[in-house]
Amino acid sequence: MGAGEARPRIGVFKLASCDGCQLSLLDLEDELLALLGAIDIVHFPEASSAMNPRGPFDLTLVEGSVSTPAQLEELRAIRATSTVLVTIGACATAGGVQALRNFADHEEFIRAVYARPDYIDSLATSTPVAEHVAVDYELRGCPIAKAQLLEVISAFLAGRRPDVADESVCMECKRAGQVCVAVAHGQACLGPVTHAGCGALCPRFARGCFGCFGPKERANTRALADHLVASGADRPQIVRAFRLITGWAAAFRAESERHDD
Amino acid sequence: MSARLSRGGFDDLLRLLRERGYRVVGPTIRDGAIVYDELDGAASLPIGWTDEQAPGRYRLRRRDDDAYFGYVVGPQGPRRHLTPPVEPLVKIRLRGPSPEVEPAAPADPPLALIGVRACELAAMAITDRVWTGGPFVDPRYADRRGRAFVVAVDCLEPGALCFCAATRTGPEVADGADFDLRLTEQGGAFLLEVGSARGQELADAVELEVASADDERARRRGLRAAEAAMRGRGFDLEGLPQTLFANLEHPRWQEVAERCLSCGSCTQVCPTCFCHRVEERAPLDADAAERVRYWDSCFTDEHSRIHGAQFRPQTRERYRQWLTHKLGSWVSQFGSSGCVGCGRCVAWCPVGIDLTAEVRAIQASPRPPADDACGEVELPAARTYAKVAGDPMRPQLAAVTAVTRELGDTVTLHVEPAGPFRHLPGQFCMLSIPEVGEVPISISGQEGAAILHTVRAVGAASRALTELRPGDRVGLRGPFGSAWPLDQAKGRNVVAVAGGLGLAPLRGALRELVARPEDYPSVRLLYGARSPEDILYGPELLSWDRSIRFGPETVAPAARAGHVKVHVTVDRGAPGWTGHVGVVTTLMRRKPMTPHALYMVCGPEVMMRFVLAELARAGVPAENIWLSMERNMKCAAGLCGRCQYGPYFICKDGPVFRRDQLAGIFGREGF
Repeated sequence: MGAGEARPRIGVFKLASCDGCQLSLLDLEDELLALLGAIDIVHFPEASSAMNPRGPFDLTLVEGSVSTPAQLEELRAIRATSTVLVTIGACATAGGVQALRNFADHEEFIRAVYARPDYIDSLATSTPVAEHVAVDYELRGCPIAKAQLLEVISAFLAGRRPDVADESVCMECKRAGQVCVAVAHGQACLGPVTHAGCGALCPRFARGCFGCFGPKERANTRALADHLVASGADRPQIVRAFRLITGWAAAFRAESERHDD
Repeated sequence: MSARLSRGGFDDLLRLLRERGYRVVGPTIRDGAIVYDELDGAASLPIGWTDEQAPGRYRLRRRDDDAYFGYVVGPQGPRRHLTPPVEPLVKIRLRGPSPEVEPAAPADPPLALIGVRACELAAMAITDRVWTGGPFVDPRYADRRGRAFVVAVDCLEPGALCFCAATRTGPEVADGADFDLRLTEQGGAFLLEVGSARGQELADAVELEVASADDERARRRGLRAAEAAMRGRGFDLEGLPQTLFANLEHPRWQEVAERCLSCGSCTQVCPTCFCHRVEERAPLDADAAERVRYWDSCFTDEHSRIHGAQFRPQTRERYRQWLTHKLGSWVSQFGSSGCVGCGRCVAWCPVGIDLTAEVRAIQASPRPPADDACGEVELPAARTYAKVAGDPMRPQLAAVTAVTRELGDTVTLHVEPAGPFRHLPGQFCMLSIPEVGEVPISISGQEGAAILHTVRAVGAASRALTELRPGDRVGLRGPFGSAWPLDQAKGRNVVAVAGGLGLAPLRGALRELVARPEDYPSVRLLYGARSPEDILYGPELLSWDRSIRFGPETVAPAARAGHVKVHVTVDRGAPGWTGHVGVVTTLMRRKPMTPHALYMVCGPEVMMRFVLAELARAGVPAENIWLSMERNMKCAAGLCGRCQYGPYFICKDGPVFRRDQLAGIFGREGF
């Protein structure tokens, strides 16, 4: 970006979330200076007290799910003032772990948890941003991978398609030369049906994949669940495996519901 | 003449290899498996361990001896060292006074591969043909492979999933195989055979004893027992490619797709799978864009996707692609099967799908040919290619000398390559914008030193190309692929049928046909566009045939070529349009299609399907029809595997094919 040229205006927002994905942006320690030279961060409450939520924004990053009526209103305003809207993380792209309430009675939860339920104004479901407004790109993860975030921003600046492969975790696990924890250790691993991006983090530490990046395209969850059952898993285990951080994502949701009595 | 090598001598051998600068790689235990990694010495080997394998299951087990090579095969063999899973190809320096292209990485130290099994040696011979046997040689592979020192080991205890006896790739490391040294483990020592001059040089440097005839007999006995242990496994190779391609609509493909996770694990452990994608890597703070190769798989969505089309959307089609390629079309492409019987794809499939069982199921219940509406596939014999020198992945930065706007979203780039550039009409180039991406674009003619490329803005890279200005530079690789049959067309009536932007790949050929009436006595172009505003090269079409009714004529014909007749039709008319309205096949019905003319067809695939059906109805034999195909191309050099179309690679066998070459493939879903 040459001198005198206006740098793209970036906004970073959060809805219902833990802020971890926004932190991935701040975790880009080595690249942060180059990034700040290329973009103009207009609104980023997690990082700066200079706030301008009204925009307009060339690129907006939205973290978090829609959990309250106020968030829905805010989201519509964000969309209206954003040219490109990218959702980041499992909450924004799949409803997040808080979407577990979608499978239960929301009113009952409120009564059980809060001393003054009448203070609580939340929706019955926690839902991904794309269920409410048009989204230009979804970056998966819990949290997102910072290298992928950098790639999405770099690609936006260069006008290219982000190099974020829509493949299984197995692909990056094998590229990294990891030994398959499912085959060699008999662990339950959601890697074969889960979207890549984490760098096969859990298998690298000898744990099966938890599926936090959500289902990959054409996720054959039924075949994997059948295999887990044949390997000795019971129905509640299958439900828990698919109903975790991205349990509200369509393919995982359908699979957990198939095993939920 | 064999010799006996003690364990101490083996240690010396590894030490000598390291002293000679080799990176010594071999089997070692990590994370509960035997992996192929750097060895510190013989102590790093899986001494006294073996691996038990079953579909979807792998476990290490202690042996009751201290064998060095008493295991079968680990998840990944030498492949990841000869073709790294992530490999930078070139760097394109953008900033500074003049952009430059340079190799991405300095040469690695030479590899010494220890413990290479017969199946892995066979896999290396197969991948040699993939990476170096086509029109282009991948210099990275050729360099690593050429310098690699191979210490092969006979396989005396095949695992439960091994079927190399059926694929005829083991268990013996045969005398003539491409190894430097061969070991046969016998108790506490090895039988050693030398296979090359550098192997001899190393053997001369270690202490050896003379082997006895008993040692040789014991080796043969062990190999026979190993072979016997595999009896009944695998599948019958006889006629297998034909059987698979005669059963492309077999119900078994759907059945296996219901079990298959399409995770790609089988392709990532296969020692011969070579598909890869190529991406731009341009971190914000870097002054150079890198082009990087990543292992890919025919099970990923991106593998068979181009802008606006996904050719293998279903897992059924992806599994079929993998298996029919590995065991069928591989023979047409590279002269042998792509399977070496190592069993890795069976062991490491997370749900234990056994490819040998899938093959046997199809062999056991073949479908009658009448079940297949698309007809029979003809698998050609493997061909040899004329070699093209240089690194096919290294672009030159060519000058854009002029840009002609053709349509609202379409321009013609005049690109002047540095140095000589010879091409034939019908071929294509890879054009790229560093940091953005690279796309295949057909050559649409030549004017002076400028090679013309007509580009429509559909994706990020093509959009960036249409935004180029004269004086800019563009990444250029090529030319690639086959050409229109201008020689065969001499003296014959020629009919070109084009749809939309499909006129661009034909224009170079049409210019030849127009310019040489003595060679081409009658040329007819039938061209269909979506609307009058979408007619490509309008003025040039008028210069070929001024009788075209285009609506209000604004351009005077430059020359009249009396042997050329142009018919234009549009799908949708517009005010002022006085020409024909209707799809291009309606033009074909108005003008009789003579069977003996030569037909060149180019356009969207669905349009070509209708055109070919119309030509078949008119009785035009397949040998008289040529068409230009499109698939996902990343390398254009026959290496990345993504543009496969049945037994062909579009990039090196096409894009221009004769109709009968594509019998049984063209028009079939999922190819």
